[in-house]
Amino acid sequence: MPGSINILPSEFTQDQPLMLAPGIKAGFPSPATDYMRDSLDFNRDLIRNPEATFFGRVVGDSMIGAGLDDGDLAVIDRSLEANNGDIIVAYINNEFTIKTLDLSHRSQGYIQLLPANPAYKPIRITDTDSFMVWGVVVYTIKTWRKY
Amino acid sequence: MYGIIDCDNCYVSCERVFRPDLEGKPVVVLSNNDGCVVARSNEAKQLGIKAGVPYFKLQEQFPNEKIAVFSSNYELYAELTGRVVSIIRKEAPEYFRYSIDECFVYLDGMERIDLKEWGENLHRRVLRSVGMPVSIGIAPNKTLAKVASHFAKHYPGYRHCCLMDTDQKRIKALKLTSIDDVWGIGRRYTARMHEHGIQTAFDFASRPQSWVRAIFRNIVVERTWRELNGQDCVPNEELAAKKSICTSRSFSTMITDPDELRTHVSNYAVRCAEKLRQQGSVASIVAVFLNTNPFREDLPQYWNFREQRLITPTATTTTIVQTAGNLLEQLYRPGYKYKKAGVIVMGVGPGSPVQPDLFDTNAEQFQRMRRLDAVIDRINRVQGTETIVLGAQQYTNKDGVGKADVFANAIKHDYRSPNPTTRWTDIIRLK
Repeated sequence: MPGSINILPSEFTQDQPLMLAPGIKAGFPSPATDYMRDSLDFNRDLIRNPEATFFGRVVGDSMIGAGLDDGDLAVIDRSLEANNGDIIVAYINNEFTIKTLDLSHRSQGYIQLLPANPAYKPIRITDTDSFMVWGVVVYTIKTWRKY
Repeated sequence: MYGIIDCDNCYVSCERVFRPDLEGKPVVVLSNNDGCVVARSNEAKQLGIKAGVPYFKLQEQFPNEKIAVFSSNYELYAELTGRVVSIIRKEAPEYFRYSIDECFVYLDGMERIDLKEWGENLHRRVLRSVGMPVSIGIAPNKTLAKVASHFAKHYPGYRHCCLMDTDQKRIKALKLTSIDDVWGIGRRYTARMHEHGIQTAFDFASRPQSWVRAIFRNIVVERTWRELNGQDCVPNEELAAKKSICTSRSFSTMITDPDELRTHVSNYAVRCAEKLRQQGSVASIVAVFLNTNPFREDLPQYWNFREQRLITPTATTTTIVQTAGNLLEQLYRPGYKYKKAGVIVMGVGPGSPVQPDLFDTNAEQFQRMRRLDAVIDRINRVQGTETIVLGAQQYTNKDGVGKADVFANAIKHDYRSPNPTTRWTDIIRLK
């Protein structure tokens, strides 16, 4: 159906529930036993590299055009290689910044960090700048309703 | 084969994860209460900053150097090193965490893997994932693995992993290793080694075993000799549980009030009991030490230590706190300004089954106390440390009325970094 989405049951926990051992039956067997699967789990399914995963809070409106608003939560994976077009967390001028990585000018000797807001200028980085890609943003989480 | 994975300048490296600008600059981390330097970056070592130097002396000695200073932030160090261990666990068949920054691995069953390459990859993976540089030593036993890791750490040519897999490499390494750098040879034995003309690990390993036995009459020294000669003697179990546990702090100010001292000592005793329970052990001896500030030569000095054997070995908080309190009472002398105290539990053994002593009148309470401790541990783990504390652990409120302040707030930590991995309020800000 166009315009609709599937709603999937999910569970948010780090505890892995114990599976029942199939074959051991006490009392009337459940017809569902053979079809049992683990519940969907954000921590297990979305965080591929837990040891490399860190969280950050978006501050300001420099990435508003990319859908990143002030206060959004970013899930950062340090272990991924940053590719052209990735939204990354960089460390520059003694602070963390979240921007789109633009590697298309590499042959001209610089790379760019692109904001997504016309009020901000792209940050051009050359060899002489102290700069590091700290991690790649894999998800952002937005709050629509506060508990 | 065994490996040891060792975090390079662990605490400094943890601080640098969220402060990449400090890469290549002198950084030091101070002990609790900002007393003295406990960790140094390589740049700080090159400046000539010695381990253990009091913070105020650092300021005197290097007035013109720009040195980044941090209070120790064990919450951060524990979380980040936990990530390192978690990676190691996936890469090695068996692992034994030895300390906050060292982890042994047992690599048998990996014969078909190039261990040198395995180590280099592990280094890369840990650095990339956590931001922690590690050095890896691989050798036929734990003592030699330690020797190898020393080479991996100090010589860039090894690319962070030194594999000691032939006798030739072993002998070459031992000749370059000074005897006091050998695992298990303390300061005490180093002096005696020197008396007998032993300077390097090789000098020691080439003496006959009978000579080592006759001179040192010590099983650990002899075992070290055997390990240096290639035998595998240190049992894995010995790495798992600590034989004694010490919790001690320098106070932020000098203390004269016996009640305040008692509160500190109670808190150290609680920590010892918690650590015992964490590793499933019990202790049979509780000891307390107390001292004035040795750097204040203008003040009267006092140092003392006292221990007490427990009738029934225990990990029960109340028993250990009570015993430590009694010992403190015996140690305390009025008229001194105290700077440091500590609680040590010794005679540590496995937690169960413990034979309650016939003459221990508390024996029947034993089970009940154990259940109480388990409940308190659980609550403090889930709700946060120090949710439940003993009355004896509470400090007088800052306004001087009543008692409520907890341990964590009573430690001085002027330069403590945030906790971006354990507190939502501290996660990094992305501009």
